[in-house]
Parts: sequence; structure tokens; C-alpha cells
Amino acid sequence: MASTVVKYVLQSIKEKGLRSFYRELKDEGFVKCLSDGNLLQTKIHNLKGNLVGIDKFGNKYYENRNLQSGRHRWVEYAEKSRYNASQVPAEWHGWLHLLMLKPKRYGLEHKENFSGEGEELIYHSKGHALNKGQRDWTRYQPWEPTKP
Amino acid sequence: MGLGMLASRVIRPTASKLSRSSSLHFIRPIVSTPETSSAQSQPQPDPTPDPPPPSPRPPVAGARVHFPNPEDAIEVFVDGYSVKVPKGMTVLQACEIAGVDIPRFCYHSRLSIAGNCRMCLVEVEKTPKPVASCAMPALPGMKIKTDTPLAKKAREGVMEFLLMNHPLDCPICDQGGECDLQDQSMAFGSDRGRFTEVKRAVVDKNLGPLVKTVMTRCIQCTRCVRFATEVAGVQDLGMLGRGSGEEIGTYVEKLMTSELSGNVIDICPVGALTSKPYAFKARNWELKGTESIDVTDAVGSNIRIDSRGPEVLRILPRLNEDINEEWISDKTRFCYDGLKRQRLNDPMIRGADGRFKTVSWRDALAVVAEVVLQVKPEEIVGIAGQLSDAESMMALKDFLNRMGSNNVWCEGNGPNPDADLRSGYIMNSGIAGLEKADVFLLVGTQPRVEAAMVNARIRKAVRANQAKVGYIGPATDLNYDHQHLGTGPKTLIELAEGRHPFCSALANAKNPAIIVGAGLFEREDKDAIFSVVETIAKNAKVVRPDWNGFNVLLLKAAQAAALDLGLVPESANSIESAKFVYLMGADDVNMEKVPSDAFVVYQGHHGDQSVYRANIILPAAAFSEKEGIYENTEGCSQQTLPAVPTVGDARDDWKIIRALSEVAGVRLPYDSLGAIRARIRTVAPNLLNMDERELATFSASLKPDCSHKMSLTDFRPAIDNFYMTDSITRASKIMAQCSATLLKK
Repeated sequence: MASTVVKYVLQSIKEKGLRSFYRELKDEGFVKCLSDGNLLQTKIHNLKGNLVGIDKFGNKYYENRNLQSGRHRWVEYAEKSRYNASQVPAEWHGWLHLLMLKPKRYGLEHKENFSGEGEELIYHSKGHALNKGQRDWTRYQPWEPTKP
Repeated sequence: MGLGMLASRVIRPTASKLSRSSSLHFIRPIVSTPETSSAQSQPQPDPTPDPPPPSPRPPVAGARVHFPNPEDAIEVFVDGYSVKVPKGMTVLQACEIAGVDIPRFCYHSRLSIAGNCRMCLVEVEKTPKPVASCAMPALPGMKIKTDTPLAKKAREGVMEFLLMNHPLDCPICDQGGECDLQDQSMAFGSDRGRFTEVKRAVVDKNLGPLVKTVMTRCIQCTRCVRFATEVAGVQDLGMLGRGSGEEIGTYVEKLMTSELSGNVIDICPVGALTSKPYAFKARNWELKGTESIDVTDAVGSNIRIDSRGPEVLRILPRLNEDINEEWISDKTRFCYDGLKRQRLNDPMIRGADGRFKTVSWRDALAVVAEVVLQVKPEEIVGIAGQLSDAESMMALKDFLNRMGSNNVWCEGNGPNPDADLRSGYIMNSGIAGLEKADVFLLVGTQPRVEAAMVNARIRKAVRANQAKVGYIGPATDLNYDHQHLGTGPKTLIELAEGRHPFCSALANAKNPAIIVGAGLFEREDKDAIFSVVETIAKNAKVVRPDWNGFNVLLLKAAQAAALDLGLVPESANSIESAKFVYLMGADDVNMEKVPSDAFVVYQGHHGDQSVYRANIILPAAAFSEKEGIYENTEGCSQQTLPAVPTVGDARDDWKIIRALSEVAGVRLPYDSLGAIRARIRTVAPNLLNMDERELATFSASLKPDCSHKMSLTDFRPAIDNFYMTDSITRASKIMAQCSATLLKK
């Protein structure tokens, strides 16, 4: 197996060049694996899984039915450095947690939870000083002198 | 039947025989609090020689008893207390007078009795079953018990049945917080239900742009059906189906085309009929209520303006037996969104290029003062709008008089109004007094569109005492039986000369009432018409010491106060030679007549029709934003109160004129509302007697004979579109929808 990997790596370097091969490794998270054990474990796990789907954020969903129930579906986040469970949209959340066989469309646009990531990113109610939305609270519509 | 229910059935008779000791407490029937009644029922059962005391509780909602005939009084006993009621009253009314509020859904004091909700069940001694108190007449010596376990259990049972098919919608229901079913299920309902089946669902009906329906919530009390047929006079609503398939509907797909349709929202005890424009806007506990007066017509309906912050969110009627009872017209109820649109919020001056430019108040007033000082006094004209309050009209008249002009009038009063005899322009019999009339003669007026609340009174008289109605004017749809006598002054002359068949009806009437429309004020020959009407009145003995049936139905809220204050122009066609025109909210003035070189000041709250001709715009407060006196068509002065703040840089009308007078160098001697009212007291003291109807002192018979010739042109309708009559309603989106959908032929 090791020889297959080495052969594959050498072939890729030959085809794409060293720099782009390294960039690909980095984008796929293999470089990060060295410092992040969770990601490394996911990568190793992925070798035995089937890729079921990719959502619009780029998260990859894997399944292996031979594994212990409850561990047979998992996700590899598109974000490699600061990933968390709120990045999974509702339809894939349902699939991951065994609520449905296939991810189903959900009405609302998914937004990840930015708590602790900075004041400008988190939710503020309307009228809050940090909410950029409605600023004009005039409740009436003034007459516009259109005709001269 | 549950075990607890069975147990309570078995126990009840024995329990009443036993002297209600606490030994029975180990058995607990489903009736929630059987113990509470035992304390209160102590004085009632055994017939003691001394008479039962009168009820210590005050009557519910200040209900008053009126005995038309003292011998008709009967005595009944409510919860052991004696109460005297007139014969013919129902058990429920007797309980109300005794101070016991009986829960009810279908019963409404202004509608006929249906007796189908069964919520008002009470126990009457010597009857085998609980009786529906709303439909049972009180009989002498009846012993009514409202607080016994039987009555309580009956209510709990009825409530359980009502809630069976009622959706658990309260969190998303607009009635939540002011719902009779919510309140009464808390007060009288059981703490559990036994219903486990599937609730029914009903298709929602489309009743038009005003009333939203969620028919699944309906509990079939039929109040709306009875309101529509009895008060509104339209046969639109009805009951379809039987049993659980029973539903309220319009039989065929049809909108509710009544000008009083909004009132079904108020009388609906649940959230089945709610306001469409108000849907999901607010909860009733967030609102601030301000008791005010409606200005969209001359009736002066009493209203409550519900506002949250700077917005008026809804308008509800306030009880006033003399004016609007507890109804208001749709225009009154739904015009409020016009208060938020097309508002004038800054003083503006029309520049040399013909465009409006925002300026400060100081500059605007300086410009107006400069112009007004340059023109000749007789070329100054002031016109008060139909929504003006008495204070601002007083200030306008004083200001123009100090400038040397007396050409000031209120729109709608015609070219030469007659303000000398007050009986010649108010409704002398009063709106409530119309109920006593048995023959009506409507001259050139269509009360259904001109004053819907007056029309409701006429309809009430027609229903209650089979009053005859004769109508002269263009063909129209009145919602009661009437004879269309003719279309113009010709019929009037026939009536005056006694040649018309309706004359005998007038002559035989006990209390004949003549209602003349204020639309006739605009006619050239109005004096001649009025003198003919007075001849008819004299022949039919309409004006007697005990009855004055000569009425004028005004159209605009400001008209009566304007005439009381003497806003009468010096010459009828002063506007054609005017150089300076001061429009105080006057939008129905024919601006074509104003010469092109005249300087027009528009002071008002909406950018409506006249602003486009104005040279300068001074923003003012609308009726919901100021305190002002309005006199209604029957001569009753009432005042509005500010519910919301003024918009932008707008000011109260009289304050603007007061400021302008100072800039122009003729300072008016009042700085406060109290001071300007003191000034009004010297001119028309009746305007200060709030909420009191000031009768006219002299009758119209003092008027000199009229020598004018009457033209024979037919009367024209005074109002084309019921929903859009003034600047507020013309700015309203809801009113525009109404006139698009409901007036479509």
C-alpha cells in the first residue's frame, strides 16, 4: 500500500509540479493534519468511507455502513482551520444524525454560528446600535413635491 | 360520562339536603370549587319572615333600570338578594342589575336574542334543568341562583363543548388578550378537557379588505349574522349546515358591502373575525388608548385611538348612547393608515423655478407676513378646511379680521351660509332623538354615505316603530324600506302645497322628522329650498314645543363649529378677486377660481389637492395629534386628545396662526389653549360645554321670508365615494382598496 501511495504522489508531482501539488495538499488539509489530530483521524477514516455528498459550503459527507452504528456517518468540514458543528446546514444535519435517509431541502438559508468570532458577525436585534439594518425609524411617509 | 361527573350527579341532591357540612369534602366531584357556594348560599334557602336584603353589589357596567310604568316592576331574587326589575326583562338582565355578571357569548344587548351558545345557564328554583338566562323572561318571585354547583357544572360543560372544536391558536391569534372565550374559559371553564378526537376545520371566507376571517375559530354565536341583518341592514351573512358542519358564511362567494362591516370585528367574541389591516401588528396590551373624536364625518363618533409609540395602530368605538351607541363606520375605523402617508412635515416655499424647497419656520412665516402686509385687506381670503377644530378657526378668523378682511369661511358651508339661526344648520332632534320619529322625510341627503351612524339610527327607528321614510334626491340604495318620492325641488313644491300622497303620512305622524342634506348648501337657491322645507315643516307640525323634527344633516366635522363661530364670508365671490388665499386644510376648494397671481398659503397635514397650487406650505397637526374642539351635526361639542406626537416639524394649527400674527405685527392675545378657549367663550360659549348638546334657542320660523326663485334642477349626491371624503381618507391605502373593491358595481 505504501508503494502505491508513493507512486501516486510521484506521478502527481510529475503532472502538476511541486508547487501546485503542495497547494493541493494544503487545501485538502493534509498539511494541517500534522498538527490537528482530529483532522488526521477524519482523513484516515475517510479511506474506508464512501463519499455520499458535498453541500454548498463544500463540506463532505461520508458513510460506511460496516462501522459501528452511530459512527457510520461523518463529515469532513470544508473549513480546515476553524471548523465547528454549526457549519453543517440543517438538511445535512438531519442526515448526519440519522433523521433521514437523504438530506431534504430546508426553507431557510443556513448561517453558521459566529458567537465569539467578533461583534460584527453575531446577531443583534433590530434597533440595536450594532445592527447595520434599519436606521431610519420614521413611521410616516412624507409628501414628496413631485409636480413642480 | 366520567366517574367524577357521575359522582357529582349523585351527590348534588343529597348535598343540598344536608346542611353542607365539611364532612363531604372527601368526595371531590369534577366541579372545581363546590365549597365556595356553600358560604354564599347560606342566606337563601329557608324562607325567613324578614325580606331578603337588596343586592350589595353595584349593577354590572353601571346598568341602569328604567321603569316606564311603576306597576310593571317585579321582584326577583338573585343569589338570595332581592332586585326589582321591569316586566319583560330577561333573567340575565335581572342578574346584571343585581350585580352578577353572567358569562355569555351569543347574547348582545343591542342585538336580538339567539340563545344558542348556552353559556349563560343559571339555576332557577323549581325548574328541573338549568335555564339559558338570556332567553328566559324574569317572572315575579323567581329565585335565580348563579353560583350553585349545578350552574357551575353547566358552564364548565358548555365551555368544554365550545373548546372541543376551537383551535389552540391563542399565541398567533389577533384576539389574544381581548378574547371573550379566553377570559371566560379562565374564569368559568374546567381545568381539563376530555376531548381526544380530531378538531374540525372550516374554510376561511373572503369578506373584503377590512374583515379577516379565520372561520375555524368560530363558535357559532351568530352575533355577526344578527348584526349584519339587524343593524347594518345587509343580508350578507348567514348560517350554513347542521351540527359540526355548521358554519358562518355568505352562501355564495361575496364581499360584505356594508359601511358598518368593521363592527363585526368588535362583536365577535373570539378571533374568527378580526381586522385585516391590523392583523399581526400589535398585541392589545402594548397599546395606549386615547379617548378621542372622529372627524371623518359630521357625526363626531366617539372613538378610542390605540397607538404604540408614534403610530396609530387602530381605532375602536367608544360607547356613547347619544351619538354612535357602540358602533362606528368603516371610514372612521380604518382611515388611520392615512395618518401615516403623504404627510407634510416641513415648511416649504415654492421657488422661482416652481419647485418646493424646505425652509425654516422663521423664514416661512416671514415670507407669509411680508406678502399679507402688501395686499389690500379686501383681497385677503381665508378658508378653513373640513377637519379644522374650533380653536384654529377662531384664530384664523381673528387673524384675518385684524388684517382688515372678513372673507373667511369653512368649506362645505356654501357661498353664502346662514349662521344667524342655529336651528337652521344643526340636527334639532338630536341623533338619539331620531329613534322617536315615526315618519322621515329625507331631502337631498343620502344618510347612508353622508353619516352612516345617523343612518343606523333611522334604520333602528324603521325597525322598531315601523317608521315610514320618504326620500327626495337621486336614486340611491338606503338599507331600509323607503319611498322614493322624487328627485328634485319639484316634489318638494308638491309636498309644500299638499298635492303629494306622502303629505297625509306626514300630517298623521306623531313625531315627523325632516332631514335636509348639507349638500344643498352649495346650491345657489338654497334659501328658497329651505323656505319650502320650512313650509312643509309648518304644515306637518314638525316643530312643536315637545318635539323638534327639523334637522339639517351636515357633512363635515368643522361645519357646525364654523357657523357657530361666525365664519361667514362678506361677499360670496371674494375668491375670484383674491390676492392672498389662506387655506387652513381646505382641499375641496375649486382652485380654478383663484386668480393665477394670487399668493396661496396652504396650512395642513396632508399633501392632498390644494398643495399643488400653494406658494407656501405650513405643516400642521392632524386630529390624532392635537387637542381641539369639534361640534357635531346635532350641536354637541366634543374634543379630541393627542394620541401620537406630531410628525416632523409640524405644529398645532392655532399656534401657527398665532405665530404668524406676531410676525405680521398684529399679535393675537392668546398664548395657550386655555386663553384661546376663553376667547371662544365670548363668541360661542356652547362650544365649551363639552359632551353636552346645546339646543338651538330660536326656531327657524323667525327667518324672514325668502324672495329667491327656486331652480328646478335635481338634487345631486353630496358624496360620490363614501370611503374617500377628506385628505386623511384620500391618503389611506385601505380606503383606496375599499373604494376599488366594495364600490364596484
